[in-house]
Amino acid sequence: MPTVPETYSLGIPAEISRIDQELKKLWQEGEGAMTRASLMNLAVYSEESGSLNSNTQLMAKITENHACRAIVIEADCRAKENSVDAWISAHCHVSRVGSKQVCSEQISFLLKGGCTALLPNIVFSHLDSDLPFYLWWQEEFREPMDPQLWAWVDRVIYDSHGWKDFRAQMRLVESAEQEAKQRIVFCDLNWTRLDNVRFALAQFFDHSASHHHFTKFRKLRIDFAPGFRSTAVLLAGWLAAQLNWRAENAKSPQELRFIDPSGRKIDIELRERDGEPIHEVALTTAEVEFLVTHAECGDLLEVSRAKPGEKPMPQLMPAGKNDPVSLMSEELMRGGPHHVYLRAVKCVRDLL
Amino acid sequence: MHRAVDQPEPNPLREGLTTRPVPQPCAIVIFGATGDLTHRKLIPALYNLAADGELPAGVAIVGFARRNKSDDEFRRDLEEVTRKFSRQPVRDEIWKTFAQSISYHQSEFDDESGYKSLAKRLDEIDKNYGTRGNRLFYFAAAPDQFEPILKHLKAAGLNETCEGSWARIIVEKPFGTDLASARELNRIIRNSFTEEQTYRIDHFLGKETAQNILVLRFANAIFSPLWNTHYVDHVQITAAETLGVGTRAGFYERAGALRDMVQNHLLQLLCLVAMEPPTDLAADSIRDEKVKVVRSLRRWSRNEIAANVVRGQYTAGAIHGEPVVGYRQEQNVNPDSQTETFVALRLFIDNWRWADVPVYMRVGKRLPKSETDISIHFKKAPAVLFNKDLSDLNVLVIRIQPDEGISLRIHAKVPGTSFRIEPVKMDFHYGTSFGKPSPEAYERLLLDAMSGDATLFARSDEVEEAWAFIDPIEEAWHANDAPELFFYPAGSWGPEAADNLLARDGRAWRRL
Repeated sequence: MPTVPETYSLGIPAEISRIDQELKKLWQEGEGAMTRASLMNLAVYSEESGSLNSNTQLMAKITENHACRAIVIEADCRAKENSVDAWISAHCHVSRVGSKQVCSEQISFLLKGGCTALLPNIVFSHLDSDLPFYLWWQEEFREPMDPQLWAWVDRVIYDSHGWKDFRAQMRLVESAEQEAKQRIVFCDLNWTRLDNVRFALAQFFDHSASHHHFTKFRKLRIDFAPGFRSTAVLLAGWLAAQLNWRAENAKSPQELRFIDPSGRKIDIELRERDGEPIHEVALTTAEVEFLVTHAECGDLLEVSRAKPGEKPMPQLMPAGKNDPVSLMSEELMRGGPHHVYLRAVKCVRDLL
Repeated sequence: MHRAVDQPEPNPLREGLTTRPVPQPCAIVIFGATGDLTHRKLIPALYNLAADGELPAGVAIVGFARRNKSDDEFRRDLEEVTRKFSRQPVRDEIWKTFAQSISYHQSEFDDESGYKSLAKRLDEIDKNYGTRGNRLFYFAAAPDQFEPILKHLKAAGLNETCEGSWARIIVEKPFGTDLASARELNRIIRNSFTEEQTYRIDHFLGKETAQNILVLRFANAIFSPLWNTHYVDHVQITAAETLGVGTRAGFYERAGALRDMVQNHLLQLLCLVAMEPPTDLAADSIRDEKVKVVRSLRRWSRNEIAANVVRGQYTAGAIHGEPVVGYRQEQNVNPDSQTETFVALRLFIDNWRWADVPVYMRVGKRLPKSETDISIHFKKAPAVLFNKDLSDLNVLVIRIQPDEGISLRIHAKVPGTSFRIEPVKMDFHYGTSFGKPSPEAYERLLLDAMSGDATLFARSDEVEEAWAFIDPIEEAWHANDAPELFFYPAGSWGPEAADNLLARDGRAWRRL
């Protein structure tokens, strides 16, 4: 069976008005046994020059595990000319069953000048019907938020890690949700980054006999990589939200304090050091330390609890990866609403 | 699917992280730890759970078997087989940590002292691993060993637990060889463990597509009005395999296809297809509905059995172009064996929903391809409009293995000026749409047992009702005037008599 090699190219140029016909031709002319698969519309929006190519490469990887109609958009708002260029292509890979090539189609748009305002119009007319619409927004949000666009989005995916003003950005996101006619699910890749660490911490307390520790925590130490303070604060926010802690005024950006429902103080130490975004987390009571740390091999977490007189039983768990493809794959796999995220944000909004 | 009574309060830190009951730290004791099942399925499944981060931190695995082995020897053996049978490559660093939780306990199954020392070992494990008195006993030994194991577990007090902890057993098939032996086995189990503590495993129920049957039926409103005698013409269930009896001749000679496959796997699939909607997703709500299906299966007189059940045995032939021997020429098989390697049945579920809808089942070895699926054949549309008898019915196919998915055959107009109608197929493949591979059935089922979720395990009354249906067929086959055993060449779709079973009704087996 001939296979279609992945070229990471934008593909064939297409007139906007003929994209559907050109896509149809793409499938008719494809050689060998190819199956078009799609579970969602996944649009990615960026204003960075050259992002069409870099995002095409990301989409090629993402579609290996998440069949979709990919819509890649680069907008050059400052361009003097007004133009829209479009391309169509397909990302193909051999399915895990191994018998056929599975392909996801991609439509790429380069919007320039005033045409960047056509974003909703262009996106809407090229959605694969009846499938959910996920929008990966790689820019900071800015006013005015286009209510027409947000009304159609099922999930908006962003990465708060790069936000310069978390509170202002979050306000914009929330106002977009209020204006939208339907409920948007917010997916923050900065939160996704915490999934494996949260799993690792949560599993210490699966037995109800260990729940008594919840009222005994004294200290939380989070070691984070330069630039990932917001990730560390979100992790603290998660514990605070789930264990009903409330924030007190921070002593410094590195020293936070929470109060539990009984009035006990929990000190949070945020330590910046080289390594993984969240390199190590230590949650301690007077007697026990619950430790989650990155193993040397990088993609595993070592979890252990240390108590005087108890034999430590370290265990390895998946650590996940911090690249955009892994984070997106993790996020798309999870689905579901993000109430816990919103609660965590609420707890630490003023600390971010 | 639900929180079991003996499952502790939810962990607030788990909220939003998982949608399934959380498995509890526990000691897993495997009886028959040096056997094939442990090597091929259980340890690879536990390793994969550990590698995926699904295994709770406090899990300790104790292999219980007769052979003399040290912990290290046992671990080395398991590492070797896991490298061979695991669905994902074994990583040294994960294996090293995982292996630390494995130990070996040498004892005869009927040696009381072996269980007393096991109890002591488990107490130690509770202290060292934080397993908190939770025990999961996996019976991977031969069924004739179940009774001594159960008796000694009880004598050693291992069937009892302190407050907040649990003890459960997982029992592998075959669960009895007939109704009497199944009842006896249930009685023996009940002497030591309650029904709530007992998990009877049927690995077909752990398969992704088997679980998806409930989603397909009850999460898609379009199927609900059609899923009954008014719209369904008939149902077919096929479990075909190219393999011969292989190394299982000793067991298979006594069991045959009816006991090995129909009594458990195929009837379980039928239950999922035919059951009424449960009141909720609690284990007993689902199992209550499943058992009603088996109870509603029409029972036959001896004459009716000959007319509705066909048994066959493969003779020499070819699979994928390679010559293969006949069943009677297989190693350790009686040259005059009357054991069936193929069964086809025509069943009726005598309830309101399925009245007069035949269900055709077939299972066989040395068939042309390996495939398990269920097909729902809908009734014909009236032929008045198109001046044509639409002989191809609409068919919904649920593929259980190997290429899991769902397809629907509908009629469409062939492009052109004439009005030609042909069937077309809409196809959904799990492997195409979802990149992530499904976990092995044993992974899911082991997690469920650790979580206290018995939904995908058979209850005693389900097992007994299934035997009550199967027993008269076996009795008829062993009577003096037994119906004929038909022969079919390996690589064919079974004896002609199986085709006639449907041809009599004006139907044919679906082409696979």
